[in-house]
Amino acid sequence: MILIKLLNRIFFVFLFLISTANAADSLTIENAWSPEAPPVAKVLAGYMKINNLSNKDIKIKSVKSNLFERIEIHNTEMKDGMMKMVKQENLTIKANANVELKPGGLHMMLIGKRKLITAGSLIDVTLTFDNGDTITQNLMVKNDEQPQMKCGSMSGSKCGSKCGSK
Amino acid sequence: MQPVTESKKKNSIQNIILMVSIGILSLVLGIWLSQKMLIDNNDAKIPRDLDATVLPNARTLAGFNLIDQNGQAFSPIQLQGQWSFLFFGFTYCPDVCPATLKAMQSVWKILPTKMGEAGHPKLYFISVDPDRDKVEMLKNYVQYFNPEFNGVTGKLDELDKLTNQIGILYGYDDKEGENDKEYTVNHSAQLILIDPKGRMRAVISPPHIAETISSNFQTIRLFYGDE
Repeated sequence: MILIKLLNRIFFVFLFLISTANAADSLTIENAWSPEAPPVAKVLAGYMKINNLSNKDIKIKSVKSNLFERIEIHNTEMKDGMMKMVKQENLTIKANANVELKPGGLHMMLIGKRKLITAGSLIDVTLTFDNGDTITQNLMVKNDEQPQMKCGSMSGSKCGSKCGSK
Repeated sequence: MQPVTESKKKNSIQNIILMVSIGILSLVLGIWLSQKMLIDNNDAKIPRDLDATVLPNARTLAGFNLIDQNGQAFSPIQLQGQWSFLFFGFTYCPDVCPATLKAMQSVWKILPTKMGEAGHPKLYFISVDPDRDKVEMLKNYVQYFNPEFNGVTGKLDELDKLTNQIGILYGYDDKEGENDKEYTVNHSAQLILIDPKGRMRAVISPPHIAETISSNFQTIRLFYGDE
């Protein structure tokens, strides 16, 4: 019995060591991008998928970039027949889950000062989390026709008669 | 004797009810048949299998005076002579508005028509945020997506005259006084399709996918014609 208890304890210490060793990798970010906007636009959007690989919920404390006055996270919600932007203070990424910022839903709102930002350029933003992690991430500026669509731009052979007329 | 009279009375009442019912029924049937046979215009029918909501009876729009991106009047007359898409938004909008204009940019690329050709539509991006969106800026904003696109705005009461007729809602969040420039605008995100007579013909709800918008538009256009 004592031996089993001891093994158990060693096992848990081992688990603890593994988890602390991986603390730096508890968050990953993928598909970070920003749609190119008209040069006169006063605000830009930023999108990304944030994965929480840890066993604890993690909150975003702040998002900053030198190019902008400030960055907020908003959610586009349909309410009373209107599209409404609801500010998200300290967005939570649940343990072992992810949060996806994408068009028509959660998005970063990049507000204020900036220079001309065109497709192909990179915007670096720094995200600070409540577990102490800080991640600096590039948003790739893209000028896709429409991200969810795969037709219309080329010969149209993939999409049949609907959009292959030109 | 008493019961017989009673039942006779009952019978005659029943007969009256029956005859009145038959009368009403034939009247209703007659009206329905005459409607069906006499009125053979397209307004009574609508194209099927669409993702858009088509109004069986197109709604005439009247009495609004707005300003277009060149400082010219934008009133009901500008909506006549071609199909038009209307979208209501604001340029401080980072997500829905540019995404919709992006979708419309794609629609314009897959349209079978070119500017000046019969059936080629116009797009009007109507800002419901005239405090911040000035015409000059609106022009640059919409023409970034396509040089054919038009920006429109105007006084709030004039905007209301148009939005009320169409059923578009908008409002401001956290706007404290005239000098406050940090507020967000809530707005309906439907695309409104106006027919060449300047009447509201269809409503297309988000999410706005270029292919769907384009094919729905072609179906509606062919059904009602470009006149």
